[in-house]
Amino acid sequence: MSPRRLFAMMYKEALQILRDPRSLAIALVMPLMQMGLLGYGVSLDIKHVPICVYDQENSQLTRSIVSRFDAAGWFSIDRRLHSQAGVRHAIDAGECIAAVVIPVDFSRTLASTGAASIQAVFDATDVNTSNIAQGYLQGIVAGVNAEIETRWSAAHGVRASGVGRIDLQPGTWFNETLDSRNFIIPGVVAVILALIGAQLTSLTVSREWERGTMEQLISTPVTALEVMLGKLIPYFVVGMIDAAVCLALTVFWFDVPFRGNLLTLFAATALFSLVVLGIGYMISVRIRSQLAASQIALLVTLLPTTLLSGYTFPIDQMPRVIQAITLIVYPRYYVTILRGIFLKASTLFDLWQPLLGLVVFAILIVWLASRAFHKRLD
Amino acid sequence: MSAPPPGTGSADDAVIAEGLTKRFGAFTAVDRVTLRIARGEVMGFIGPNGAGKSTTIRMLCGLVEPSEGRASVAGFDVGSQSQAVREHIGYMSQKFSLYGDLTVRENLRFFAGIYRVPAGEFAGRMRYAVSMAGLEGQENTRVATLAGGWKQRLALGCAILHHPPVLFLDEPTSGVEPEARRRFWDLIHDLAANGVTTLVSTHYMEEAEYCNRIALIDRGKLIASGSPGELRQRGLGGVLYELECSPLGAALEALRGVPGILEAAIFGDRLHVVADSGAAGTADLTGLLRGRGVAVGSIRPALPTLEDVFVHLVARGLETRAVG
Amino acid sequence: MFGRVGVMLVKELLQLRRDRTAMMRLIIPLVVQMLMFGYAATFTVHHVPTTVLDLDRSAPSRGLVSHFVASGRFDVVDEAQSQSQLQSDIDHNVAVVGIVIHAGFARDLGSGKTAPLQVVVDGTNSNTALIALGYVNQIVAQFSAEEVAALARQAAGAARAPSGVTLQVVPWFNPGLEDTWFFIPGIIGSLTLMQVVSLTAFAIVREREVGTLEQILVSPIRSVEFILGKTVPFFLIGLADIALVCAIGILWFKVPFIGDPAVLLAGSALFLLAVVGMGLLLSTYSHTQQQAFALNFFFVNPFFILSGFAFPIAAMPKVLQWFTLINPLRYFLIVIRAVFLKGVGFSVLWPDLAAMAALALVMLAVSVSRFRASMSS
Repeated sequence: MSPRRLFAMMYKEALQILRDPRSLAIALVMPLMQMGLLGYGVSLDIKHVPICVYDQENSQLTRSIVSRFDAAGWFSIDRRLHSQAGVRHAIDAGECIAAVVIPVDFSRTLASTGAASIQAVFDATDVNTSNIAQGYLQGIVAGVNAEIETRWSAAHGVRASGVGRIDLQPGTWFNETLDSRNFIIPGVVAVILALIGAQLTSLTVSREWERGTMEQLISTPVTALEVMLGKLIPYFVVGMIDAAVCLALTVFWFDVPFRGNLLTLFAATALFSLVVLGIGYMISVRIRSQLAASQIALLVTLLPTTLLSGYTFPIDQMPRVIQAITLIVYPRYYVTILRGIFLKASTLFDLWQPLLGLVVFAILIVWLASRAFHKRLD
Repeated sequence: MSAPPPGTGSADDAVIAEGLTKRFGAFTAVDRVTLRIARGEVMGFIGPNGAGKSTTIRMLCGLVEPSEGRASVAGFDVGSQSQAVREHIGYMSQKFSLYGDLTVRENLRFFAGIYRVPAGEFAGRMRYAVSMAGLEGQENTRVATLAGGWKQRLALGCAILHHPPVLFLDEPTSGVEPEARRRFWDLIHDLAANGVTTLVSTHYMEEAEYCNRIALIDRGKLIASGSPGELRQRGLGGVLYELECSPLGAALEALRGVPGILEAAIFGDRLHVVADSGAAGTADLTGLLRGRGVAVGSIRPALPTLEDVFVHLVARGLETRAVG
Repeated sequence: MFGRVGVMLVKELLQLRRDRTAMMRLIIPLVVQMLMFGYAATFTVHHVPTTVLDLDRSAPSRGLVSHFVASGRFDVVDEAQSQSQLQSDIDHNVAVVGIVIHAGFARDLGSGKTAPLQVVVDGTNSNTALIALGYVNQIVAQFSAEEVAALARQAAGAARAPSGVTLQVVPWFNPGLEDTWFFIPGIIGSLTLMQVVSLTAFAIVREREVGTLEQILVSPIRSVEFILGKTVPFFLIGLADIALVCAIGILWFKVPFIGDPAVLLAGSALFLLAVVGMGLLLSTYSHTQQQAFALNFFFVNPFFILSGFAFPIAAMPKVLQWFTLINPLRYFLIVIRAVFLKGVGFSVLWPDLAAMAALALVMLAVSVSRFRASMSS
């Protein structure tokens, strides 16, 4: 390898990056925009579940229960309904996630038998949201019951039973507020970097083929390794700038706690950028048409990173076969590392497995990429 | 005459190709091409589009792997020493292939870096390349905005920055206006004068005249080679006569089947006749025609154009192919 | 006009057929992704790796642990001997949940005192943590009801307390709470969006870059004809995509399809028009394929994420909720889920269909006029 030739390649590539301000702007502004959109948009915390209430009895007691739903802050009671058909329509049209139906004889039944029921009809299409909403509703009903019990105990002057009760003391570590943003945003960073990285390099080689400059280039003594490094290094700089911007936003804008070590973060990010850019380059070398290269790049990055990296859907909940497939979804390692560094203050040693995964990938990709390029036309 | 006589070159010829063949599936693009180019020679590669010129040049540069045969360039084997070959050649592809988004200077600097032109020499060589291309004052212009002729000359400038002993130019003048083409050839001759060996392909017949030697290629086969003069002399396999006579039809009829007459064809208001050299003098022809009642105005030997020769050879190639 | 559109169409289809890898690129990834993501996309929480620190080692404490295991939601992966071991398990991702039963648990329960039960959750994945905590609550409540009731029966003389209000949960449309049913229609829409936008965006830029656009533009073809000829193939590919992935969803993943296929067809057609319009619009803003590619990435990802595909629109800030109003995928997901699972028809879905039609109209009109402008310049 000749440093002179490598430098010439790098310089040329850097000039070409700077000469296409539109693409460069996209490369630098894109992470900002994406962080803004995804950072806010990707959230599973429904703070205000839209519900409807059909209070058939409409007594003081039922109104006080309904006001508890309101006061809990988890729901927004969008509508009061006045018929079973209204319930049907509200759920059909997706106007609410749940409809709470309080029967006409609720107070009387409760007073005479000590037990009564409230019906909650869920639109269970979105299972996760309806699960969460159900949890909230159960919590409110438990509150109602506790109050009933207290009042009963006071009236009878005794404890409900002679035996003890379990006092459940739940505790949450690492993400104490259970804010889904803290867990999702590091994943968003990984996804954005994977997308930008592949986008940056995946056309650099196919563009030279389509413009005819490649034929000139391969008639020169430049080696495959020099071409690869000459193209990757300038884009690596762009990729690291993007990474720095995204990570800074994560900490300073989205207030995700950063508890780990900056150096570990840098090492992991550099490794990941290398893998991502290398993959884009490999696609570019293998596929001579820009159209095909971009389609394949989109294919191997967007959905796999979104769905199989563990950034939204937990990998350990997937079927075994899919779990095995995620081993080659390289962003999963970076997602794990980012979450570890940000939330758990994990050290280099704690993260040796995902780091090793990235190292293996980096070596594999660079090796394959340097071999993939043949200085031939056929 | 389907292959040039072998053994005319010497061992230190700049380009040696032996039986170069390239097949793409069932299609044979280049069929056992054997040729030698001596140092400092300008060899023209003439043939219609699709004849196999580009593929041959690409095989010689190491861009395409030959299906059969071997070649050496500047003393290095194309197959096993492709890196060394690339150090010693300059190549200009058919399609314009510099970076349109870089300036003249940046393109030159890039290729200087790739060819590891010594830093101390770069300034001088760049000045030479720029002045050769006639681009003084335009060093900071983006190449995409240059006109065709300048682009070609700049591409040549990039290809010779590292002073390669051998140059491969694949249709460097296609789509360039005549004046610019003329200047381009002057450049090539200047280089040849400095000992650079050049293989240049073209489909402009008149450009063949500028070469020291030409090789005619058709449908992948080398059908003739030699200097333009030689080819004109021998290419038809006989002597060309131009006859003014009437009626032309009767004259054509009269010459058909006469021993020693190889070809006869109406050419405008005249008759072109190719006779076996020595077999038929002008006197014989006149007598023959007069005997058939044809009035003969004038008859004189003519020098064929290269185009005549090429058409003749291609036609003959077709005949023998049809027979065989 | 139809003659020339026809000629363009034939040319496009020919180019597609010549491109031997195109068919492979179009169909195989679609099927593979559908299968993989159909299985991968789930928020269901089961077999959560759990570590137990049982310092009581009594019948009730063992009974509680077996309640956890029997639920199928928790797998005991480690029986920790100390608090620090439990902590290390969670630190190193061995376990997500840690249960600590303190010494004296059984004694406290029997003697009418409050018995603390400590449960620690790794909150890194807040969603899993939240759901797992919900299950912990349920299991503990159930255990209390059974065990405490048994103990209460032994303790004579206690007055019978009211059992209070029960929440009777009625899940409609998806009684088994299968989240595959939710995600599969979403994946169908997302895959189609990605494929069709990128195909369309590239089609015109490619002609521009290769230089054939100029050749076509000097012919008497009108811009509308050109655009129609260019986009109808992608529209057809999109319809075929939707049909293919729907078939996989229904036949392979067994997602019920209780609605009217005609509603789905209408929704798909409007959705594809909007998506093709989006692709065209992107292509009018790109000069090179690299730019088209970057723009494509730039827009497709937010449109995909901000569609309600996995993240509820209700959970987004208001500004982003407004942004989703220009996202055709948002409406299509509502339509396709409603047709698959709810079986509702035009009377309920007309606002969403109308929104897609409006989006399609605007995007196509803008891109035709932009294209016309670029032709005259």
